[in-house]
Amino acid sequence: MSTAEFEGELQTLESEVTLPAERGPVELAAENLSVWFGKRKVLEGVNIDFPKNSVTALIGPSGCGKSTFIRTLNRLHELIPGAALAGRVLYEGQDIYEKDVDPVHIRLKIGMVFQKPNPFPSMTIRGNVLSGLKLSGMKRSNHDQIVEETLTAAGLWNEVKDRLDATAGELSGGQQQRLVIARALAVQPHVLLMDEPCSALDPASTLKIEETIRELSKDITIVIVTHNMQQAVRVSDYTAFFLAAENEPGYVIEQGLTTEIFGQPQDQRTLDYVNGRFG
Amino acid sequence: MSLAEPKQRDLHSAATSHRGDRIFNRTVTALAFTALVVLAGIAIFLGYSAVDALRTQGLDFLFTTEWTIGEDPKAGIAGMLYGSVLLALIGLVIAIPASLLLSTFIVFMAPKRLANLMTNVVDLMAAIPSIIIGLWAFYILTPPAEEWQSLLNQYLGWIPLFQNSSGNFNGTPFIAGLVLAIMMIPIITSVSREVLGRTPPDLINAAEALGCSRWTMLRMVAFPYGRGGIVGGIMLGLGRALGETIAIFFVLKLVFEINWYHIIESGGGSVATLIVASFGEVSGPYELNLLLAAGFFLFLGTLIVNMIANLIVNRSGKMQR
Amino acid sequence: MTTVLDRESLVQDQQPQRPWRKRPVQLDASIAIATLVPAAIVAGIFATTDIPGAVVLLVVYLPLQLVAAAIAALVTRGRRGVADSFLIVSAIGATIFSFIILISLIGSLIVRGIEALWGPEGFRSSFLFQNNVYINPSTPLEYGGLGHAILGTLIIVGISTLIAVPIGIATAVYITEVRGRAVPYVRFFVQSMSGIPSIVAGLFILTVLIVSGAIGQSAFAGGLAYAILMLPTVARTAEEVLRLIPDDLRTGALALGSTRARVVLRVVLPAAKTGIVTAIILGIARVIGETAPLLLTSLKSDQTVLNPFNSPIAALPTYIFDNVALPYPGAVARAWGAALVLMLLVLILFTIARIIGRDRVGRRS
Repeated sequence: MSTAEFEGELQTLESEVTLPAERGPVELAAENLSVWFGKRKVLEGVNIDFPKNSVTALIGPSGCGKSTFIRTLNRLHELIPGAALAGRVLYEGQDIYEKDVDPVHIRLKIGMVFQKPNPFPSMTIRGNVLSGLKLSGMKRSNHDQIVEETLTAAGLWNEVKDRLDATAGELSGGQQQRLVIARALAVQPHVLLMDEPCSALDPASTLKIEETIRELSKDITIVIVTHNMQQAVRVSDYTAFFLAAENEPGYVIEQGLTTEIFGQPQDQRTLDYVNGRFG
Repeated sequence: MSLAEPKQRDLHSAATSHRGDRIFNRTVTALAFTALVVLAGIAIFLGYSAVDALRTQGLDFLFTTEWTIGEDPKAGIAGMLYGSVLLALIGLVIAIPASLLLSTFIVFMAPKRLANLMTNVVDLMAAIPSIIIGLWAFYILTPPAEEWQSLLNQYLGWIPLFQNSSGNFNGTPFIAGLVLAIMMIPIITSVSREVLGRTPPDLINAAEALGCSRWTMLRMVAFPYGRGGIVGGIMLGLGRALGETIAIFFVLKLVFEINWYHIIESGGGSVATLIVASFGEVSGPYELNLLLAAGFFLFLGTLIVNMIANLIVNRSGKMQR
Repeated sequence: MTTVLDRESLVQDQQPQRPWRKRPVQLDASIAIATLVPAAIVAGIFATTDIPGAVVLLVVYLPLQLVAAAIAALVTRGRRGVADSFLIVSAIGATIFSFIILISLIGSLIVRGIEALWGPEGFRSSFLFQNNVYINPSTPLEYGGLGHAILGTLIIVGISTLIAVPIGIATAVYITEVRGRAVPYVRFFVQSMSGIPSIVAGLFILTVLIVSGAIGQSAFAGGLAYAILMLPTVARTAEEVLRLIPDDLRTGALALGSTRARVVLRVVLPAAKTGIVTAIILGIARVIGETAPLLLTSLKSDQTVLNPFNSPIAALPTYIFDNVALPYPGAVARAWGAALVLMLLVLILFTIARIIGRDRVGRRS
């Protein structure tokens, strides 16, 4: 593609997408979300829409509440003593914090991958992939198919197909993280939350996982917290920039198409951050 | 950004809204309270008998030194109470220095392999069942102990502590106390060893850099640091000694009169041993009740000692962290 | 101008040395004198008088050694060294004291216990398998045995384990997983419970269940009394083990849509398998030698009893208890033999617990 053609494509894309309403159906959304730990307010008035089958990156310096925010999306936040929140989190239009909503059910639909790979160390690779089914009580008869499909989707199948009965502890960090992704996929979530999934991994594994993310986003909505701005550019369609002043709650400074946030941000702080002037 | 503080959502009920989890939580919680239920049960049931005994005997139960059942029963465990304390004291006099020396040696002086060996030795001693120690005490310890005591009497008999008028040197508080010491040493040594081992190396290095002798370092750094834990350990040992029954069963001659300080004189008291010794020949429900009452006071005493010990150990652990 | 040194030639003749390790000759000599002189004096006393050994050691050797060491320290290190020398002599003394006791204990167990297990015809397995029906204390050693007592101990300990282990694990789970508001109280009560004298546990079961007629004196009653003693050990060890399980396993399982119950039952407890087994073994080792509670609850018997609910039953500790202090050498030998078997059981349990524990640590790489 020539430069002119590329620029032409970029302009077309930019002119097509302006208002959130034109982004396509919204799968998950935070509406005016504020979050506390005890008396300390850590997030304020977060409003983000996550369109279906897109990848949204959450960027910002450490400590501004991105990880806390992402944990409110699958109701893991409430497990911390003293946790409180206000506002709504809408999944398929329904507030997930409503009284009779089962958090366990939510976590089946909205899965999570953590910074440190956490496969169950004493289980086999196969056992790990299927553990989500056992733990959530989902009954399926096609275990072998599920194992193969999810490991393939996670980009790990070729490396482990001959040793599915090896223990998960024998795998390298990058392989373990892909195993964890496969495990999360086995319960067929609609949304996958990823909290800095590559920050503990080597560059080769990171690239593999980024490939996986792009593939997965065709069927799943993905939200990824990342410190790595090049990764955000490579992987995401939309980006939200979080910031927190000292002793102040964090909030979203700016959000929108990744190309715009990084190419033409409107806020000076966003510009400074994406240019590496702080963070 | 809104100006008014948004209303917080109710998360608590949400966290356990899953039915299976509620049942799980309730079951586990109920089981976890078993310890409390048992402790309360013991206090109640034994306490009931104690109240009964006190009602018929009055407070004299704690101060009398007879045991006559029958027409006009008069029974009291004063001798036993005092005896339990005396035996524990004798044991402590021997066990505390020995344990402190042992733990200090293991942590600060012994080469690594010897230290490991000694730790294993101490743990092994802690594991030996009390019946075996009682057996050993009766057959192996008593003959030499009788000799030592008669020598003590011979050369130091002018001190009232070492007087013996019966010529009989078995069944004395001394031997029983010695046996209790042997049971206490592993406990106190274990706890002290752990506590001393946690002395921050920075403090020790600071002392050594100043040119302290080892004794000074211990006196100024290690022992003050570990004081809480060591005292706690001593009290745990004390609690064990107060409740010990079988180890001294065969080497103590139970008498109801109080043996105040003639520790190498035959005859002493122990509440726990009384209960076991009398149980087989209990004359009826009345006497059984008295024994249960005695058990209540034993329970109370050891419980208090243990609770204080645990408080001290826990608090010292938290402070050091 | 800069200088460039010819490194090769400078280090050519260097050999590794440790100048800090050299000890002053004086120190060696004074230590030698300080140890040999008192030893010689003591040996002399041993040889010429008949004062019992322990007395000589304590009354003569210890002071002599203290003085000699103090002098040696004074000579080499000055006044500062004296306290240290006292310290080291006393510490070594305490160590020797405890070694002597342990060796005496183990030694007597072996020497005297073997008599029951080893007769003129070799290993006497009948001692391990037969019971004591028709045997009274004066019967010679070839007849009768421990079989019923070993079986009784197994039954009683088994019942106790079945009761105490689930409750103990549940207590640990409450503390580390459910984390209810009563956690500090539960921990405190469990800790306090570990200090209950074993006789009190027996008394409790006696009053509540036996005197009231709910159950009779039986293995079951003994098992209940043992369970009271076993519970704190199991709960405490299990709690420590569960604490070691990293939190991301729990979070990971929850993120997969697991209920709390499943996290505990399918992830945390299986991950803590070896530790829990260790907790159980330590609990068993704690109670297996307890005599006092059994004297009140399961009494004793000469027969082989299989029903744990309706009759008194023999057990190793009570068997020993019955045979001590009897004037018949056969009975005494039986007591020692039973003691040896009991000690071996305890040792085996502890060794298994150690091995399991070590395995777990080793494999964590």
